Amino acid sequence: MQWMTLFNKEMVENWRNKKWIWVPLVIILLAILDPISNYYLPQIIEAVGGLPDGAIINLPEFAPAEVVMMSLSQLSSLGVLVIVLMAMGTIASERKSGVSELILVKPVSYRNYITAKWAALLALVWAALFVGLLASWYYTNILYGDLSFKSFLLIFIFYGLWLTFVISIIIFFNTLVKTPGLVAFLSILTIMAMSIMTQIFGHILEWSPNNLSSYIYEMVIAGEVSSDLVATSVITIVLSLILVFASIFTFKAKELAS
Amino acid sequence: MQAIIESINWSIVAPFIVIQGILMIVAILDWAKADDFRGSRWLWFFIIVVINTIGPIIYFIFGRRR
Repeated sequence: MQWMTLFNKEMVENWRNKKWIWVPLVIILLAILDPISNYYLPQIIEAVGGLPDGAIINLPEFAPAEVVMMSLSQLSSLGVLVIVLMAMGTIASERKSGVSELILVKPVSYRNYITAKWAALLALVWAALFVGLLASWYYTNILYGDLSFKSFLLIFIFYGLWLTFVISIIIFFNTLVKTPGLVAFLSILTIMAMSIMTQIFGHILEWSPNNLSSYIYEMVIAGEVSSDLVATSVITIVLSLILVFASIFTFKAKELAS
Repeated sequence: MQAIIESINWSIVAPFIVIQGILMIVAILDWAKADDFRGSRWLWFFIIVVINTIGPIIYFIFGRRR
């Protein structure tokens, strides 16, 4: 099947350029950074010194749910940045160098070409997220207290949807412009604009994908999946699919024009 | 300082060091085989080795033309 061939080609390529090694490692680092550094904060402050004698600092005690949220917020900022930079050239640079023309001369459908790339990136990012959150979950359990494996799995699945959405945005801009740097810039701009819009129009955009993290936090605290979370997930999936269809459409239009 | 070093639970900090090590080794192996650098070959070597953690990541993202 053609799609599988394209998908395998992407997987092999991502393996050859070491993405399958470094992306998961970076995600693990980001996910465990905050849980561990917060745990050692008292010792770090003591080591840095400079406090007058008798000064007492009351550091908050973190609940397991809060610790996992620290990991997620780290992934939402630096993690998303790394993913955007990692994926910015996936189609754009192939078009620039002419590789995509070599591939598309053959009877390869645009739909297969785009969706295979999208799926290969999703496989990589979901795998990286899994090991990252697993490491974070492990440290949370060791250092802060119990967090059930079930909530870990739910956090993984729902947060994975947010990263799926991010990947879809990146793929979309990849088909729109040919310069990888511009793809990264536009993707970050879109994500930031969405987060600002969500904050300003919070009462209307209750189910904006940007709210996924806060609903996930509520879920971990309450121990049950709220209807808001489900609705936001559905919206996120639908938006991702729309972006992928839009990518196929713009890619077709651009390639036929050029 | 001695006391601080002893107070660190190494089984917890070790993963950071291991991950940083793997990142650097993989980057160096990739660097040794590559010949399509953006910019100078040895500059990238120093970036990978000198800048902790971020160096290898920058190399993976920007280092090669491919």
